Amino acid sequence: MKFLTTLAIISPLAFSSCCEQKKIATTGDTQNDESISYQEKETTAQSFVRINATIQKWSASQPWDKSAPAKRRALGVLISDTRVLTTAEMATNITYIELENADSTRRLPAKVVAIDYEANLALLEPDNGDTEDFFKELKPIELGTSAKIGDKIDVWQLEDNGMPLITEGTIQSVDIVSSFADGHYFLTYEAKGSMQSATSSFTLPVIRNGKLLGLLSSYNSKDQIIDVMAPEIIAAFLADTADDKYVGFPSIGIGISSTVDPNFRTWLKLSDDVGGLYVTRIRKDSAAEKAGIEKGDVVIEINGRDIGRRGYYSDDNYGRLYWSHLIRGSQKVGDKVNLTLLREGEEKKVIATLERPGKRLIASYTYDQAPRYLVKGGFIFQELTGTYLQAFGTDWKTKAPLNLLDVLASPEDYEEGRNKLVFLSATIPTPATTGYESMRNNIINKVNGETIADISSLIKAFQKPGSDGLHTIEFSHGPPKTIYLDVAASDTVDAQLLKRGIPALSRE
Amino acid sequence: MLKSSIRLSVASLVVLTSLPALLPCMAQLNPPANPLAPLPPAPAAPQVQSIYGSIVRIEAATQVPDYREPWKAGRFSGGIGTGFLIGPNRFLTNAHVVSNARRLLITMHGSPRKHPAKIVHIAHDCDLALLEVEDFTPFQTLQHLQIGNVPKLESQVRVIGYPVGGNRISVTRGVVSRIDFSSYSHSRSDQHLVVQIDAAINPGNSGGPVLQDGKVVGVAFQGLRSADNTGYMIPTPVVRRFLKDIQDGTYDKYVDIGITTFPMFNPAMRRKFGLSQTASGVLVASVTPDGPCDGVLKNNDILTAINGNTVDAAGNTLIDGEKVNMNEIVERKFSGDMLKLSIIRDGKAMVVNCTLKPFPPSQMYSVQYGVKPRYTTFAGLVLQPLDRNLYAAHSFTNTRVRRLFAHYIDEGIFKERQDIVILTRVLADPVNTHVSGHVGTAIESINGKKVTSLKQAHDLLHPKEAPEFFIIKCEGLERPIIVPGNKATEASKRTETNYGISAPSQLSK
Repeated sequence: MKFLTTLAIISPLAFSSCCEQKKIATTGDTQNDESISYQEKETTAQSFVRINATIQKWSASQPWDKSAPAKRRALGVLISDTRVLTTAEMATNITYIELENADSTRRLPAKVVAIDYEANLALLEPDNGDTEDFFKELKPIELGTSAKIGDKIDVWQLEDNGMPLITEGTIQSVDIVSSFADGHYFLTYEAKGSMQSATSSFTLPVIRNGKLLGLLSSYNSKDQIIDVMAPEIIAAFLADTADDKYVGFPSIGIGISSTVDPNFRTWLKLSDDVGGLYVTRIRKDSAAEKAGIEKGDVVIEINGRDIGRRGYYSDDNYGRLYWSHLIRGSQKVGDKVNLTLLREGEEKKVIATLERPGKRLIASYTYDQAPRYLVKGGFIFQELTGTYLQAFGTDWKTKAPLNLLDVLASPEDYEEGRNKLVFLSATIPTPATTGYESMRNNIINKVNGETIADISSLIKAFQKPGSDGLHTIEFSHGPPKTIYLDVAASDTVDAQLLKRGIPALSRE
Repeated sequence: MLKSSIRLSVASLVVLTSLPALLPCMAQLNPPANPLAPLPPAPAAPQVQSIYGSIVRIEAATQVPDYREPWKAGRFSGGIGTGFLIGPNRFLTNAHVVSNARRLLITMHGSPRKHPAKIVHIAHDCDLALLEVEDFTPFQTLQHLQIGNVPKLESQVRVIGYPVGGNRISVTRGVVSRIDFSSYSHSRSDQHLVVQIDAAINPGNSGGPVLQDGKVVGVAFQGLRSADNTGYMIPTPVVRRFLKDIQDGTYDKYVDIGITTFPMFNPAMRRKFGLSQTASGVLVASVTPDGPCDGVLKNNDILTAINGNTVDAAGNTLIDGEKVNMNEIVERKFSGDMLKLSIIRDGKAMVVNCTLKPFPPSQMYSVQYGVKPRYTTFAGLVLQPLDRNLYAAHSFTNTRVRRLFAHYIDEGIFKERQDIVILTRVLADPVNTHVSGHVGTAIESINGKKVTSLKQAHDLLHPKEAPEFFIIKCEGLERPIIVPGNKATEASKRTETNYGISAPSQLSK
C-alpha cells in the first residue's frame, strides 16, 4: 500500500522526463510479445477509465474541520455501460470524484453507487454531464473466472499520453488478505512481477485472457509482489450492487485460536484424525450466537469441508485456504452454513444463518462518516471510534490514552446503557472552563442526571440543566468524578465560538 | 516530569579508568582562591581546607539485578559519588550513589587511602543514605559539617564534590533559582521539596554538600537533561526528616496522606460548593482505599486547612514564608502522627483527624534497590510480579497489564491481588513450543484458582501431587496454556538445565 501512495504523489515533472524512453520500450515489448496482439491491446484499453479523486479526512482533534484536500489518481474498469469499478480506498472520504478518458481529453463528474470498505471495492457511475460522449469510445470488460497458481496475469497502467503500459506477472500464491479496512480478510492472488511507476497508479486493473481478473490492491516494491483481489469477491460485490440496496459481505461472529498445540489438543480431547479451531469469542447477537455456538467449542467442519488445526481447509481450486473464505468469500448474507462442532469431546451439528456484523460500541471503521461531536462551553465531546484512536499515529496501540484503549480491548465493560461511548476529547480554554483546561479523555457517564448513550442523548441532557443554573457532568473515572459548568457562561462561550469560526456546535 | 529529569548518577567506571591514574600529592593541595566566600578572618585557608577534608569521594562497586532474566547474577558495574561527614562516623550521601552496592570505598580529599565503608541507613524515597567506615580513626580530626536551613531565592551557594572530568575535588557556584515541590527521580514515584540552583551539577557531584555561610543547605542529587544550568539539591527539611526518622534505628519511609485533590478555580465549581471568590480550600477528588484518609475524608469534601495551615484553592499552603504544596506539611510528619483536617462537607465546616501510616502497596510504583528480583519458573514459563522494575525492563503493551499497573492502588486492586503475576517469558521447550501470544499478559488463574500472589502461583504450579493438566489462564485470552501434569516436572528440569537457570524460583526479596 505504501508504495502506491508514494507513486500517487510523484510530481508530473518526474514522469515527463522519462516519458520518451518508456514509449519506445512499450512499443518494443509489443512487437516481441506474442500473447497479446496490438489489436487485443487496443480493445482491452477501451475498458479503462482514469479516476481522479479529492480526498479529505475529518480532523480527530477538531471534529468540525476537514483535513487539507489531497488528490489521488487511479485506473478504473468499465464493468457495464456506465459503471466503473475501482477500490474502496480510492472512493473513501472523497469530497469530489470524476472520471477521465484514456487520452485525458474528457472528464465527467461521478458518484459512488456502492462501496465495500471490507472487501476494498467501489462502483462509480456518472453524476451528470455529457455521459453519451464520454462512453462513446469505451467498451465494458467481462469479469473473468478464477485463476490458478502459475497463471500469467497482466497489470495495466496508462501513460500520460494514453498508451498502455503492461506488466506481466505470475501468480505465486493465493491467500486471505486484508487490504483496506483492518481485520477484514478476503481472497487475494499474490503475483510476482516488476512494476514501474506511471500516472494513475493508485489501483490498477489486472487482466487475464482478455478478461478482468481483479484489481491490484497493493504492490510491494521490495519483494515485487502484486496483490490482486480475486474475481469471486468482485462477482459477489457486483451481484450485491444489482439492486439499490447494498448489503455487504456476511459474517459469522466468532474469534478463534488454532489447535496445533498437542497439550491443548489432549486437554480438549481432540483425536489425531481431526483438525479444528478453538472458539475463543462469540460476538453478541451474531450468527454464531444465534446458532448456539459457544466459547470453547471446536469447529471441525464447515459446509462439509474439514477444518485443519491451523484453520486451513482444502479448496478445489486453490488448495489450502483459510477457513474464513468459506464464510465471507463463498456465501452471502442470509445463506445457511452447516458447522460441525466438538463440545466436550461430543460431536454437535449446528446451522448458522449468516448476517452482517452487528453494531459495536466502537465501530471498527467509520469511513465517510463525519465524527459526531458536541461543543459545550469549550468542552469538546465526541463518540469514540477506531479512527479517533488511530489518529495517535502508527504506534497508537501504545500511544493512545490508556482508558480509551481499554474500552477498545474490553467493550463489554462499558456497553451497559450505551450505544456509543461519549468522552471529553479536549477542552478549549474559555471563561466557562477555567480550571478544567487540562481535562481530556474522560469517559462520560451522566450529564444533568441523564445516562449518556451517545452524542444525541448528550445534546438532550445539556438542554435540561439543574435549577441552580449549573450543568453537572459525571465521568466514569475521576478524579474528579463530577464537575460543574455554568449554564449562562457556557451559552455565552458557545455563541462566541460560533462567531470565531466553529461552523456548528454539534453534529449528530 | 520524570522523563526529563535524570539521575545524576555516579560517573561510570569506563570514564574514570580512561583518565590518567595520577594521584595528587599532598603538596599540590593549595586551596583555590575563594573571593566570593563570606569574608573570613585571616586564618581562612585552614578553615576551607578542613571543609574540603570532610567532603569525601565514594567509590561504589555495584551489582544490578537483571529483571529480564532474574536468575542471572546481574550486571557488575560501579561509579563515583560524593559524601560528607555530618557526625562521628556518619557520612551523608545520596541513596542512588550506593544503591545495589557490593563494595564501598571512601577516600578523603588529598589522600590515596581507600577506606572500606558500609551503609547504615538508606532511604530510597528521598534519595539519602548514611554510611560509616570500618575504621574511623583517620577521620577523627575532621570537621563535622553543620546542617543549615532552606536558602533564600537568589542567594549564592557552593557545590563541592567529585564530578566527572577529573579525580580532584571540584567547586562550583550558583544562586538558588527555585524552591518547589518536585519529583525525585531515584524512586520514580516520590515528590518532595526540591531546591533548584544554577550551578553546574554533574555526574559524580551526587551526594555532595551545597554550602552557604559554611553550613550545608542541601545535598546535590539530580540534574535536568533538557535544560542547561539547572541542578537540583535535596533541601535540609528533607535531610533533617531522614536523620530524625533513623533515630530509632530503622528508616520507616515517608507517609502519604492518600488523597487526590483538584484545584477549585472554576466559578461554577465554587458556586456549587458555596465558596466565595476569596474562600480557601481545595476539592478532595479521590481518597486512596485503605489509606490514612479512607473513612475520614470523602470525595467532594473541601479541604480548607491542615493542622491549622490554610490550604488555598490550588492546594498550596504557606510554610516559612514560601507558598508550597500542602503535602509539605505531611512530608515532615512520621508514621503514627495525627493530622487535623479542616473541611467543608455538604456546606458544613468541620474538623476531622487522620492518623498517618505506612502504605505498602505504593511500593508498586517505586523502583526497588538492593533486593533480589522475585520470580518462579515452570515448564519453561517465567512468572514475575509486576512492579516498577519489571515494567522498566519489559515494555508491556498489553492494555490489561498497563491498566492493572495504572490503577493498582486507586481502584483497590491491591486488596485482592498482592501481586499481579506476569508471564514474562516462555523458554522454548517441546512442552510449550506451541504457546504463543501469551507472553506479556497477566496470569488470571491456575486450575480455576484466581492468582493473587507470586508465592500462591508458585504453590499452585508445584503441588504435592500433579493434576492431570495445569490450566493457566491469562487475562484477556480465552485460550489457556495447557501443561500435562505428568510432563511438567521433566520439562521444568530440562529448561532449567538448557537455559542455565541456576535457581528455579526466588519467592522473597
